[in-house]
Amino acid sequence: MIISLTDVNKTYPGAVPLHVLKGINLEIDRGELVSIMGASGSGKSTLLNILGILDNYDTGDYYLDGVLIKNLSENRAAELRNRMIGFVFQSFNLISYKDAVENVALPLFYQGVPRRKRNAMAMEQLERMGLADRAHHLPGELSGGQKQRVAIARSLITNPSIILADEPTGALDSKTSKDVMQVFRELNNDGMTIVIVTHDPNVGAATNRIIRIADGIIQPTV
Amino acid sequence: MKNPIFDLENWKEIGATLARNKTRTFLTAFGIFWGTAMLAMLMGGAGGLRGMLMRNFQGFATNMGAVFPGRTTISYKGFNKGMSWSLNDNDLATIRATVPYIEASSGIQNTSGTVAYGSKSRSASAQGVEVDFFKIQEPTLYSGRLLNESDFYNNRKVALLGKSVADELFGTESPLGEFVSVNGVYFQIVGVIGQDSDVSIGGGRLDEGIHMPLYTMRRAFNLGNNVGFFIMNVEQGHTPTEIRPALHRAIRHNHPIHPEDQNAMGMFDVAEQFKMVDNLFLGITLLAIFVGAGTLIAGIIGVGNIMWIIVKERTQEIGIRRAIGAKPRDIIVQILSEGMVLTAVAGTAGVVFATIVLAAVDYFTFDPVLGSAHFQLSFSNAMGIMCVFLVLGTLAGLIPAIRAMRIKPIEAMNDK
Repeated sequence: MIISLTDVNKTYPGAVPLHVLKGINLEIDRGELVSIMGASGSGKSTLLNILGILDNYDTGDYYLDGVLIKNLSENRAAELRNRMIGFVFQSFNLISYKDAVENVALPLFYQGVPRRKRNAMAMEQLERMGLADRAHHLPGELSGGQKQRVAIARSLITNPSIILADEPTGALDSKTSKDVMQVFRELNNDGMTIVIVTHDPNVGAATNRIIRIADGIIQPTV
Repeated sequence: MKNPIFDLENWKEIGATLARNKTRTFLTAFGIFWGTAMLAMLMGGAGGLRGMLMRNFQGFATNMGAVFPGRTTISYKGFNKGMSWSLNDNDLATIRATVPYIEASSGIQNTSGTVAYGSKSRSASAQGVEVDFFKIQEPTLYSGRLLNESDFYNNRKVALLGKSVADELFGTESPLGEFVSVNGVYFQIVGVIGQDSDVSIGGGRLDEGIHMPLYTMRRAFNLGNNVGFFIMNVEQGHTPTEIRPALHRAIRHNHPIHPEDQNAMGMFDVAEQFKMVDNLFLGITLLAIFVGAGTLIAGIIGVGNIMWIIVKERTQEIGIRRAIGAKPRDIIVQILSEGMVLTAVAGTAGVVFATIVLAAVDYFTFDPVLGSAHFQLSFSNAMGIMCVFLVLGTLAGLIPAIRAMRIKPIEAMNDK
């Protein structure tokens, strides 16, 4: 069991407090390829942020790879994000003035890995993504699909427990989307646990399990 | 993570981010550069102005004073007010016997006259002085010797010729041992003197006159036993103004002057003049500090402003970095380091620039006689300016950096 959520609640404070997650219970096994689907406002982004240790929750328990993720200091959260989670975002979120290799190597910079070593590791990941010839291109010089593969390479470089992808195909055309999903499937075949948040049924269909969320509650599997 | 200061990776990272937006980096750097340069030039300039004024007082004792007769303003012992009186040898003797703290003193008698050598002549002020005169106003001795005890004791008819008088009468020849006529009386020249400063006592610059023993002069020109005025140096730790009551008392001993009549005795206190100059320069220094502090604050606000924009502009990047594992400290250290590197480089350039400007000013205000006015920035001042800029520049970057940490990574990433 790599992800285990028990009765997780999250309310955004405000003039009218917004109860976004209303008791989420969720379990994901190691090696799964899961998609979380839901309409906008369903709470799926909030759930992803909690899974990615980018946001806190109010009550309940969240275990990631056996570690209780609760009330962490920002330092500890950053460390866990760095070592356990690989992020892939809809808008790629590459740093525009760093070339592909440097972008991929950046998580290792925060682990204190020497430049030569981390660049070598980054090259390996880029080769795995078939982008070795684009290693020294800036993000602006890459196509959407290439950027997303660079982002995937970056998410893989720390050898994380899970990969969290937030609408990874949202900014891509349908053919490129398929290619990217193919990359995820291959990674999953190699044993990587992958959680994809999407509202695209085609993406959901390409995963092995679909978790539907609506109005802050996980819908029972039909 | 390793100590960020000794981590080469960090410096590469800083270099890369600074090089990313060259225009912005340059403009920020220029702001700091200009701030430090202005501050450094103000400090050096204030010092130089002070030096320019102070060099006029070279060779001049700072605790020197002079006494000269005035007119009475209160009638006393049957004498009407408005009576004039003269300083004479009795007064000098009483002063020397009763007034404390006088280190050196000299009565001075002036007469204007024509100095002639051969066919050349010019008018010059002839000054009769006592032996201690040269302790009070230290002359520059160009050749020969000063007047000595023996000259005074023997009433020798010797004189010191002012430099410009000597140049006019003798040209390139040496006047030493020659006899010049002063109003028809011959004196042997034993030395040529002048002065560095522009300040003079009574009879003009030493360069323009001829100086001889007081008693010789009286005999030669039948001047009686009066003196024009009396100059003195007081001991360290005392001022001429402090001994004024004692001087007044000594004068009253010989002249019918009312005890309350302060205006009857004229007095000049160089210490007071120095105090005025000091106050003037205290004002200038305060002004320089005030203007400098303003420049400094403007520069720092500029740095803070730019750091704010940098942080704003990079909110998304900061979000990405945090999402992939940068700790708050990593981000703050990165932003602060960028500010510090920028401040250090630009600040050094500013100080260097100011030093060059000051050196140029110093070069153009250099006076062959008076020397340099010291338009200079002391090393400690330069380092002080740099440190202040570095500390304040860092603090200015700290506020936006901390602000940046308040934004959640996920919000930061979505910021476009």
